Amino acid sequence: MPGAKDLTLPDGARVAVIGGGPAGSFFSLFASKLAQDLGRRLEITVYDRKTFVNQGPAGCNMCAGVVSESMVQSLALEGINLPPSVVQRGIESYYFHTQEGSVQIKSPRLQQRGIAATYRGGGPKGSVGKDIQSFDEFLLQKAIAHGARIERTVVDDIRLEEDKPRLYSGGKLLQDCDLLVGAFGVNARTAQKFEELGIGYKAPPTIRATQSEIELGKDWVANKFGHSVHIFLLRLPGIEFAGVTPKGDYVTVSILGKEPNIEDVKAFLAHPAMKKMLPPDFKIPEKFCHCFPKINVGAAQKPFANRIVIIGDASSARLYKDGIGSAYMTSKSAAQAALLYGVGEEDFREHYLPVCKTLNRDNLFGQFLFYVNDLISSISPLSRGYFRMIQWEQEDSQGDTHHSDILWDMFTGSRFYKDIFIRTLSPWPLMRWLGATVSSSLGVGVPSRH
Amino acid sequence: MSEEGLLGRIYKDGEVIVKEGTQSRTMYVIQSGQVKVVKSEGETETILATLGEGDIFGEMSLFDAKPRSATVKAVGEARVLAIDHENFLKRIKMDPSLAFRTIKQMSQRIRDLNSRLSFALGTVNQAHNTLSQLKETEDITVKGMETKLGSILDNVSQIQQELLKLKVAVSSHE
Repeated sequence: MPGAKDLTLPDGARVAVIGGGPAGSFFSLFASKLAQDLGRRLEITVYDRKTFVNQGPAGCNMCAGVVSESMVQSLALEGINLPPSVVQRGIESYYFHTQEGSVQIKSPRLQQRGIAATYRGGGPKGSVGKDIQSFDEFLLQKAIAHGARIERTVVDDIRLEEDKPRLYSGGKLLQDCDLLVGAFGVNARTAQKFEELGIGYKAPPTIRATQSEIELGKDWVANKFGHSVHIFLLRLPGIEFAGVTPKGDYVTVSILGKEPNIEDVKAFLAHPAMKKMLPPDFKIPEKFCHCFPKINVGAAQKPFANRIVIIGDASSARLYKDGIGSAYMTSKSAAQAALLYGVGEEDFREHYLPVCKTLNRDNLFGQFLFYVNDLISSISPLSRGYFRMIQWEQEDSQGDTHHSDILWDMFTGSRFYKDIFIRTLSPWPLMRWLGATVSSSLGVGVPSRH
Repeated sequence: MSEEGLLGRIYKDGEVIVKEGTQSRTMYVIQSGQVKVVKSEGETETILATLGEGDIFGEMSLFDAKPRSATVKAVGEARVLAIDHENFLKRIKMDPSLAFRTIKQMSQRIRDLNSRLSFALGTVNQAHNTLSQLKETEDITVKGMETKLGSILDNVSQIQQELLKLKVAVSSHE
């Protein structure tokens, strides 16, 4: 391996980041701050053709835009306070709508609006004049304020030449890279370019979701949806679950399932459980802002090489939830590895890969938890028992909210899945649920915990 | 400012966020507005610090689990985000650098306290020096008076002796 000792980032090193989403911005921020602490200067250039101020899918990284409770707090501790112009709605509770009924679960630990509902881009198509600041743009501006440069250029070729990655656009050399950072998510063709480099990288497996922005008006959204995200577990064919997130004049409808399409969105909006949340005269519009983003459901293979590291969704991400949290964790780990140890393959293997492995292992627990959730939702007696259990916990404000906390943490992404899994094994709450299932089947009350 | 996009919790002017002596391990980050950190002794309230947007408070109890060392109140309307201590400690274990900014702020507070302590000590030293000088000045004055008194006393003695001599002389003549 030529020049192995040179695989560090000296003062003035040139770093290219492909992708201006949260992972790219976080990396740029952490790398420039750490370089400053170490008395070094980096030339960081972020390449992204999108401007996040544009409306619709062209200016958006296509995600529900929910920043989890723990992520909001981590950002605040890093000195990044999300302003009201970025936060379309502060969320303080989740509503779960099932065939058995609806129940509200509030944050189990802190009584505050701790979850941020944001727009990743400039807002839905047609949302002219609405007070919307893109979350991605907000983070990118933070990175620029710390010295990163943004280039609105498509990188259409990457070559490994003379031991360094080189970026090209339209046949023209853009730059040599002392470090190339891939923060291109799962929605770009850039993954293929990295796969073709022969470094062993393979993009993570994905599934499709749908995101739709439905305009209902600020007053209606505020009155009907409040400061809650609404999760629908309705056993609709082809739909694992649907989430509705209030944001200003709109609600974002997110559907996860087996290749959901626009008809699934319409079927969901027409379902009685959702229909009662909509204005009486609501008609599904002919055209509305929607997209079919890919969701990372596995790990990339070998997301690093000499002078190359791949972060965010393009590498490892938490299953279904807290994508922004995953971007934060992987980008920070990569920045620390690069600045504190080096940019060699072994440096990333030793100091960056463990974070990816932690996320990947945790996702195994996540897969199990969501599988069990699907199973419970699909079997009426179990679903009824669990629903009544949650209802009883929420009615008793002084009591133990074990099952509610598990649901909260699973669907908000506030805790690691392993943490949640271990809590599901507590015997007494399991027995209470069993008792609730039996008693709801027999039509009697839920057994007391005393 | 739109109310919908506010995170955390809003405290009104003078509302207590953290009460001295209570047990709690929640840390806070100010989202907007200001808070004051105060110590009370009877009716007297001493302001130890005023904090603003981005500042952290309540971190001492998070780390040492001891009762709150001071009271924190909102100054005007303040919006504050609470940090779940259990999750924070778990996250630090995974990523110790998450605590850096908190440590930096604590370090800055120690610097500020050192500076204020140094200033206070300087003031006390100055007062001590002034009092010492004053005492010395008074000592010289007293000594001066003593000398003068001494010489007056000497004169008085001499006068007394002359008067005695005069008395004897007067007696002998009688």
